[in-house]
Amino acid sequence: MVLKLYGFATSTCTLRVAVVLKEKNVQFEFIPVDLTKGAHKAPEFTAYQPFGQVPYIDDNGLILYESRAICRYIAAKYASHGTPLLPTDPTAIALFEQAASTETSNYDPFVSGLAWELKFAMWFGGKTDEARAKSLQSQLSAKLDIYDLILGKQKYLAGNDITLADLFHLPYGAVLLDIGLDEFSSRPNVARWWKDISSRASWEAVKGGI
Amino acid sequence: MALKIHGHANAPLVRLVAEVCREKEVPYELVNVEVYKGEHKTPAFKEFQPFGQVPYINDDGFILYESRAICRYIAKKYASQGTPDLVPREPKAEAIFEQAVSIETSNFYPFALGITAEKIIKKHRGLEPNEARLSDLVSNLKAKLDVYEVILGKQAYLAGDNITLADLFHLPYGTIVFEELGYDMLEDRPNVARWWKDITARPSWLAVKAKA
Repeated sequence: MVLKLYGFATSTCTLRVAVVLKEKNVQFEFIPVDLTKGAHKAPEFTAYQPFGQVPYIDDNGLILYESRAICRYIAAKYASHGTPLLPTDPTAIALFEQAASTETSNYDPFVSGLAWELKFAMWFGGKTDEARAKSLQSQLSAKLDIYDLILGKQKYLAGNDITLADLFHLPYGAVLLDIGLDEFSSRPNVARWWKDISSRASWEAVKGGI
Repeated sequence: MALKIHGHANAPLVRLVAEVCREKEVPYELVNVEVYKGEHKTPAFKEFQPFGQVPYINDDGFILYESRAICRYIAKKYASQGTPDLVPREPKAEAIFEQAVSIETSNFYPFALGITAEKIIKKHRGLEPNEARLSDLVSNLKAKLDVYEVILGKQAYLAGDNITLADLFHLPYGTIVFEELGYDMLEDRPNVARWWKDITARPSWLAVKAKA
């Protein structure tokens, strides 16, 4: 039975999983969850994803949620398909985990916060907290200065091969660019890396929505 | 040569790495970094940890940063000693483990860290907490813990019936929020309270709290 991906067609975390499915050439069935109607908070949904968030997968009865966990599961299960996205050598694994953690600590909080303040808050009847947005942007800017140093020494975040850690950056990076917040172009190494990862066929295939 | 943890003994994520070293019976040396004097922002420090954050480790010349990455490295390298299966290896158990680890970073840490920033970090910098933001963070964390209550009603630990790194990752900031700052979020959540009591009673954590 084909893997089922439950999510929202344009949601950042759903796209994070979709890009990895494409990289690994894994067939999947997309089952839309209507967030606008609160489908993700309904008991039929929270029975599977108790936090009421998208996405989750049903892989022949194995239910899994948290997009990065789903991505790791797919990359490991289909290690020999498509692009290798997880290293196998212990040192390379450690450096991959360092890069993956860097994304969650030193990128995601700022980009997701900015995406909320500058785009998504308005969808839910809120408004931009300008002070918070300014603070987040300045923190993101400082972090990307470090990314520029790291990416001046190696091609990708975990070394010279692409890994999940690089792909994890795509969805929120794209949201910010879409609303005109470009912290990538002014940093030559970050710009090079962003161009590389965002022009992959897998991302092109899903970036506009599943 | 003993593993060197570079950081300050009070730093929550330094304590996390020390705890996992103890779980895995790995001797370590804590190399003090004068964070209160800004040593972690100096070029000499940033040569090893470019984001200017603690901790980082030096394992016989191998430098690694990001506390959760360090913990994973130690758990895997010393898989055959100390507390077993802190990172499970069987594929299905591993997938559920990764889900649990991600739950901590998405659904616990941002709120616990945020509360810590408002109440403690800002105070160190002579700033007042943003009460509206603090109130939001507290109510969000409580809502997340309501879900933990459901999960922990079905299994002993976040990734199943055995303790893993996913549980241990909650120790430093959970201790700050529930114990040091005294937020009562456990009384109405008996499963979470049971789990919290269990993980905080581990000798490795008690040893680190006494002296990292």
